[in-house]
Amino acid sequence: MGEAALVSAAPDPLIRLRGFGKRYRKEVAVDGVELEVRRGEIYGLIGPDGAGKSSLMKAVAGVLSFEAGEVEVFGVRLDSEAAAERIKGRIGFMPQGLGLNLYAELSVEENIDFFAQLREVPADRLAERKRRLLAMTRLAPFRDRPMKHLSGGMKQKLGLVCTLIHEPELVILDEPTTGVDPVSRRDFWAILAELLRERGITALISTAYMDEAARFHRLSLMYEGRVLAAGEPDGIRQVVPGTLVTLQARPQIEALRRLREHYPQVEAVGPQLRVFVEEAQSTEAEAAVRGELEGLEVTAVMADEPELEDAFVALLRRRGLAGKATAEASLLVGDDPPAGGAVAIEARELTRDFDGFRAVDRVSFRVAQGEIFGLLGANGAGKTTVIKMLTGILPPSGGEGQVAGAEMRSAGQAIKERIGYMSQAFSLYQDMTVLENIRLYARIYAVPRRQLEKRIQWVITMAGLQGVEQRLTGRLPMGIRQRLALGCALVHRPRVLFLDEPTSGVDPVGRRRFWDILVKMARLEGVAILVTTHYMSEAEHCDHLALMHAGRIIADDPPERLKQALEAEAGRLLEIATDRPLLALELLERTGFQGVALFGRKIHLLARDPEQARGRIESLLRAEGVTLQHITPRQPTLEDVFVYRIMAMEKKERAA
Amino acid sequence: MNLRRTWAVAWKEWREVMRDRLFFAMAFVVPSMILLVLGYGLSLDVENIPFAAIDQDKSALSRDYLHRFIDSRYFDYRGEARDEQELDRLLAASRIRFAIIIPPRFEERLLAGRPVAVQSLIDGIFPYRTQVSKGYVAAINADFSTTLLVDYLARKQGMSEAQARRRIEPVRLETRYLYNQAIRSTWSMSAGLIMLVLMVSPPFLTALGVVRERENGSIYNIYASTVSRGEFILGKLLPYVFISAINIFVLWAFVVWLFGAPFKGDPIFFYLASLVYVICTAGIGLLVSLVVRTQAAAALLTLVITFIPAMLYSGLLVPVESMSADARFQAHLFPTLYYLQIVWGSFLKGLGWSVLWGNVLALMLYAVVLWSIGFLSFHKRPRQ
Repeated sequence: MGEAALVSAAPDPLIRLRGFGKRYRKEVAVDGVELEVRRGEIYGLIGPDGAGKSSLMKAVAGVLSFEAGEVEVFGVRLDSEAAAERIKGRIGFMPQGLGLNLYAELSVEENIDFFAQLREVPADRLAERKRRLLAMTRLAPFRDRPMKHLSGGMKQKLGLVCTLIHEPELVILDEPTTGVDPVSRRDFWAILAELLRERGITALISTAYMDEAARFHRLSLMYEGRVLAAGEPDGIRQVVPGTLVTLQARPQIEALRRLREHYPQVEAVGPQLRVFVEEAQSTEAEAAVRGELEGLEVTAVMADEPELEDAFVALLRRRGLAGKATAEASLLVGDDPPAGGAVAIEARELTRDFDGFRAVDRVSFRVAQGEIFGLLGANGAGKTTVIKMLTGILPPSGGEGQVAGAEMRSAGQAIKERIGYMSQAFSLYQDMTVLENIRLYARIYAVPRRQLEKRIQWVITMAGLQGVEQRLTGRLPMGIRQRLALGCALVHRPRVLFLDEPTSGVDPVGRRRFWDILVKMARLEGVAILVTTHYMSEAEHCDHLALMHAGRIIADDPPERLKQALEAEAGRLLEIATDRPLLALELLERTGFQGVALFGRKIHLLARDPEQARGRIESLLRAEGVTLQHITPRQPTLEDVFVYRIMAMEKKERAA
Repeated sequence: MNLRRTWAVAWKEWREVMRDRLFFAMAFVVPSMILLVLGYGLSLDVENIPFAAIDQDKSALSRDYLHRFIDSRYFDYRGEARDEQELDRLLAASRIRFAIIIPPRFEERLLAGRPVAVQSLIDGIFPYRTQVSKGYVAAINADFSTTLLVDYLARKQGMSEAQARRRIEPVRLETRYLYNQAIRSTWSMSAGLIMLVLMVSPPFLTALGVVRERENGSIYNIYASTVSRGEFILGKLLPYVFISAINIFVLWAFVVWLFGAPFKGDPIFFYLASLVYVICTAGIGLLVSLVVRTQAAAALLTLVITFIPAMLYSGLLVPVESMSADARFQAHLFPTLYYLQIVWGSFLKGLGWSVLWGNVLALMLYAVVLWSIGFLSFHKRPRQ
């Protein structure tokens, strides 16, 4: 994990790709990729859906043939099925999809045993490895539980155990963390890092989360079948030198308008504005931004290193791939929600039981018209069940709710007419054109004939679908399909919109654009929006957030107040940068600091007395020979809040 | 071939089928269901044809004539209609399939030695049933005419009825039905359905089992491991062949005990031949799984390519000999024809190795060809 000192990297590459290309019929999935992975390295492939990561990984694992270029693994050229067979004893491959490669009907132990039998692991060694791996992943108490009854995070850990049971020299993991909540993701990375280091295993791992970049020694940033940049995480950030300035300004609309004139990458995240200033040092960038905002009330200005996501967007922009997304984004972002709006969604003590198991436990919240409400929580926390009850798909076992002025229990059909719903699966007809999809949904929702054409035009403009009206939906990139799905959910102008993980797997540019539309709908049209997401950076856009855990809401506040509450309860957040983050992490954890966690290459921890903590950290690290680069107090991110709250709950449950 | 790995795949598959309610039902309930539903429903016997009549004569002789229909087990008398319009309505509504109108002065004319025309109306929607109905009507009518003639001759010539009958019918037909003495179609049909069920069920299970792994992505566990394709295919199909091997027993028991069909042949021969047939049809499922991507498509394709040949080209409904030349050619392309001969031969004719060895050989050939194609087209490094 970002720690070259711990790895003895042999010079010979374990994986070597030259001019690698893969086509599916006429569609090019990967084109001209060069890649080298050294022994002992954790190599990352980062990119959104459709970047070609899966095709590349399957080719390396010898389970997919390809047309162009060369792939060499362990020095074997994979040019035939027979050649590919020669490497298979030494690799482990975990395909994409949470737990999909496991066998639902078999128990945890039976799954592991099956993988071990396939790989002919001797019984005595199997028993020993199983004991160790189950203990490490904390799956030991669930040995006999059928895999289908595991939570998302547990499935993912079981998948890892099954992939590692024969102790391969190389593991290839395809998006192991997609669709998993931040706490489980963190857990997963910690376990994986430990296992890989312990056995000196080389790994090729893909992810759609940009913030996981620091988990890799080196990585390739991929987009639409090509590599945008490759190298060490820090190196890639430096490909696009610049500074990230964050600030708060009032009025925000005016600030945003002025900044957009000069900077292509400006984003409003809740009350904050993020400006990426290319080719500028921190002081210089800060001054330049301040200069643009002359005469406005500007507070909390901070200059920082840009994140990988900023670099990614900049790279796309340079290659003209970002489209006009960033340039023409809405100017209404970040406005305050209308005060005193009518109640759009109200849940009162909503409860749902599934055969003796309580999925949702007395959940109450209210969302005003024009507000964006985020529902966060781990897989299986009950978010989707809440949405299903509110949309009238699932009857509640107890409690009641009101949606768009209709009582949930009595007015099932009335509710459905007043709401829009977009699921993760984008319920679009792939074999129909964009226009046909919109028209179909307009008809389904009984848009009056006179208004039909006008309404379709409105959807096309709103969702930015100009120019693709006649294209087949199935052939469109993920980001456009997602906006089309949103447009279809809005075609009957509902007052309330439900979005269940709408942005999974969409690239950062697409996600930013999507949120622009959501904010516009909320602020301009006064639509109330309820959204669930695993991207904590997106949660920052919400006006208020409810954190769910095991069917209950454990926190419900605006993002700012959630962060303040965390600071009040657990102290200031300190960010620590060192040359050996892994070792430092271990040391700090052992010393008993609160909320120690790795963020990128940096460590976050919470301290009630920052000055005293600073002294302790300095002396501790010095004693172990770790170079401390800096300790900076930071405002906690929502991810800090999420992780802290969930861990606290889990600790309490374990104690009970 | 590593037997340990093959066994691992087979044992995994077996547990999955046993625990997945849907798969379990498809393995053990659906085959017997098909046999029961079709066995009872697919009777080709034409009996109890509903009919109505108009007797415009209402004489002793006309009543006698009508009663020959009413008392027959082939006809089901639904009552007398008032007029021809009512008959039309009943026929149109399919309440009756056959109607008979006895004209006025029926008895008077017959006794006077003059011919009489009786009108019969038969529903022609089901040509096969129509033909059979017409045969029954003609037979009853001829018998009635013969009786009249015998009576007349006996009276005129003063001979006994038996003598008179011999005069009128110099050539008498003696029929003995072989193999299925009571010509019960359920005997042939229920036994024949074993052929259909074992044609549909093993490939259905096999195709779904393989495609399910591909749809989930768990097939990558196989692709990325050292399991060879032969080991995988064998391990994957073994449980389904085993399930079908159990089903052979179950189906046999249903046919013998529930439908009352006799089993006259060699049980060991029949079981082994059935096993070869099941291995052969499981190979069809393997091929299906190689060309489709989703379970839905696998189910549909399997049904189409197994049900149709089993129904139409096996000889179950229409004897192969009476098919058109090209249909007969097609019939010989499917394994169903060869196995149906084994089934009927074993159940009804009491045949064994000596006569049916060629059929078993044909099935073996099928199995070898299907499995070889399946083996050769299965790749652990596919194009997509």
